[in-house]
Amino acid sequence: MTASTTIAPARWPAWRGSVALRVVQSIGLSFVITDLLILIAGKNPLAAYEQIVLGAFGSWARIVVGLNKAAPYMLAGIGVALCFRGNVANMGAEGQIAIGGLAASIFALTCAGALGAATLPFAMLAGALGGVVWAAIAAVIHLARGVHEVLVTLMMNFIAWLVVAEILHGPLGEIDAGFPQTPMFERVAWLPKLIARSDLHIGILIAVLAAIAAHIVLWQTVTGFRWRLAGASDKASHYAGGSRARSVFSLMAVSGVLSGAAGAIEVLGVHYRLIEGFSLGFGFNAIAIALLATLKPLWVIPAALFFAFLETGALSMQRQIGIPSSLVLVIQGLSLIFVLCAVGRGARKV
Amino acid sequence: MSPALLEMRGISKSYGPVHANIGIDLTVEAGSIVGLLGENGSGKSTLMKILFGMVQPDQGAIVFKNKELAPGSPRDALRAGIGMIHQHFTLVNGMTVAENVMLALGEAGFWLDRKGVAARITELSRGYGLGLDPESTVEDLPLGMRQRVEIVKALMREADLLVLDEPTSILSPPEVEGLIGVMRKLKGNGRAIIFITHKLGEVLSVCDEVVVLRDGKVSGRTPVAGATREGLAHMMVGRTLAEPPRRAARAPGRERLVARDLSANDAAGLPRLQQSSFALRGGEILALAGIDGNGQAELCDTLAGLTPALSGSITLDGVDVTAWTSSALLAAGLAYIPADRSGTSLVQAMSIADNLALRDIARPPFSHYGWLDRKGARGLVDARTREFDVRMAGSDAAIGTLSGGNQQKVVLAREIGRDPGVLIAFQPTWGLDPGATRFVIDTILALRDRGGAVLYISSELEEVLSVGDRIGVISEGRIVGVTDRADVDMVKLGLLMAGHHANIPAAA
Repeated sequence: MTASTTIAPARWPAWRGSVALRVVQSIGLSFVITDLLILIAGKNPLAAYEQIVLGAFGSWARIVVGLNKAAPYMLAGIGVALCFRGNVANMGAEGQIAIGGLAASIFALTCAGALGAATLPFAMLAGALGGVVWAAIAAVIHLARGVHEVLVTLMMNFIAWLVVAEILHGPLGEIDAGFPQTPMFERVAWLPKLIARSDLHIGILIAVLAAIAAHIVLWQTVTGFRWRLAGASDKASHYAGGSRARSVFSLMAVSGVLSGAAGAIEVLGVHYRLIEGFSLGFGFNAIAIALLATLKPLWVIPAALFFAFLETGALSMQRQIGIPSSLVLVIQGLSLIFVLCAVGRGARKV
Repeated sequence: MSPALLEMRGISKSYGPVHANIGIDLTVEAGSIVGLLGENGSGKSTLMKILFGMVQPDQGAIVFKNKELAPGSPRDALRAGIGMIHQHFTLVNGMTVAENVMLALGEAGFWLDRKGVAARITELSRGYGLGLDPESTVEDLPLGMRQRVEIVKALMREADLLVLDEPTSILSPPEVEGLIGVMRKLKGNGRAIIFITHKLGEVLSVCDEVVVLRDGKVSGRTPVAGATREGLAHMMVGRTLAEPPRRAARAPGRERLVARDLSANDAAGLPRLQQSSFALRGGEILALAGIDGNGQAELCDTLAGLTPALSGSITLDGVDVTAWTSSALLAAGLAYIPADRSGTSLVQAMSIADNLALRDIARPPFSHYGWLDRKGARGLVDARTREFDVRMAGSDAAIGTLSGGNQQKVVLAREIGRDPGVLIAFQPTWGLDPGATRFVIDTILALRDRGGAVLYISSELEEVLSVGDRIGVISEGRIVGVTDRADVDMVKLGLLMAGHHANIPAAA
């Protein structure tokens, strides 16, 4: 009721420097705090980081694991970043990835014989379409019934997990496998390797190209302009001839394509089969990555690499010196919080 | 001479390179009304925010009742007895008057004293002629009464100094009279008032002294006795305001925009526009006066294709366009300047160039086949900003860096630069200083002289009278009393605005 209700962040010292510098400082700060936690646990932080670095970059094979891990993160992260920019709070990448993987698997298992070499592109397409369908259901519920998009997309994730589990325990499950998974796909459905005789598949290339394409669409096309406008002001967007329905549908469709493709890449490029929980947490990581990248499609590339390499390094650290790999979650979480604080509201150009 | 109630001495405040206040002195005696005049951006609001502790001054001291106030502490200012009545009310609509007052009292303790507060409100209301019922719900009250709730809140806090920030901008003429009466009674009781306004007539009728700010400095102070409108205007803008706008004499052309029995609801589904009709010809301005919230927004949005009409029809150049989208109407030559600059007609975080392209982005030269063409649009952006005299560092700067007047020039450059056949202008001078207001009106008059048809809607009666070829009133969702400007009857107009149109048939 009085003026004291006004929050005045201006009295705090402003965090200076470019956004990029602030992001790097934030990540550095999160490591400093993690050091303290490691010290409290009675271990040597330097040794821990050495193991993380070795685990992530110690050999070519390890780098490949990280790059393959980064690809789905990147794809889904781009979709989330675009949605957030257009003021669509899409929490549904997780479910879209799962359904995308499922659709690609069904296609790879059932049509490989008939299609031959064309199986792979069609399986990828099926994955993308699966993601779109899943995203479209959420968009329709949001627009037709006015349910908040956070709720709808979040709930659709749980349904997606259960759908995948149900199918693996039922019709598509491999008999006598002892684990809910499908039989292995035929080789025609495998994602080709980027470098011969390594495990590095072309997913990372697709993801980087997608980031560049998203950047171009966002800044160089009328569609991107309308998305940015929808994100900046609902009323101005309406005045300029746009509609909420159009921006929600188009953005959710883009997120569906990218997340669905991420799921397809994971099953067709890494496992060559659908496994229960194959993408657990990918979609939620994608949200964190999009925010860490301050919603810039190109910045999603380093943000996704950071998350992926941190995770592969952490597993090795746990094996070698017994510090739990969940420490990495602390680093991820802290760096995200610091970045959000450092960048703040309004620092973003529309 | 008794010491003054309030003394602000040598107040200075800079925001980066912008000097909002430069060494301002302001003295207010108990039992006096001081008018604070100035264009937008002259430093009035910064000075008042400093007085109220919402902004910390770089230099200067505030002495209130012989005690220095701690800078930057609204709590201190409140406790000392300074009451601020903001332009935008801080009331909870679903609560009663008494409950709202209790909220403001803050330190009332744990138990609510409904009866005591209600009795005190009734007493104050009677004493000052406010006519407030403590048990009525705020959302049922007209804006003028809500303002009085704010005044009671300040009085209950025992405020000796009341700051009224443009209190008359939302009131109808009779309500303004009422407020001025209340102000005189407050003054008679020994309370002091700082009255912030744009309107010279009100200053002359109620104030004892006027302080005029220009560019962050006091450009003049004078007792009201002996002051003239022209003199005050000169102090405000540093030049004498020109004669009323001149217009070419021309016979109105054919009918361009015609509405028949148009009805529409607001976003909450309440009927706001009820069976309104009018016919607008080329080369004329139909100006509608009216208090805010009488269906103006719904009329404009419906005509512009942003809200669907419930019933009735709209024709544009003889074609039924009732169901057309805003984009189709735009392409057919209908331009629209909405009232809200901060989030509807402009996007603050976008660049000046992007804001110029806002509604035309899908057309050349702004884009080709879906691809933006910033280079190709550069020529048009430069030409438009030059033609409409937008003062800026460059068209890539965010629009939020411009003053309100220059922001509105960008809107004009976009909507009028298209050379539309029909323009709907809703409060196009809202919040602008006299210089920018003049620019907006001259630009719109020039469009009319070129043969454009203009529907001009404003709650500023003076402006409606000076702009319109035909004048009407929008009241309770209906367009009433439309006449030629030569036949305007001020008394009738005032009555219509205040809602007394029971016996007057809807005119067109």
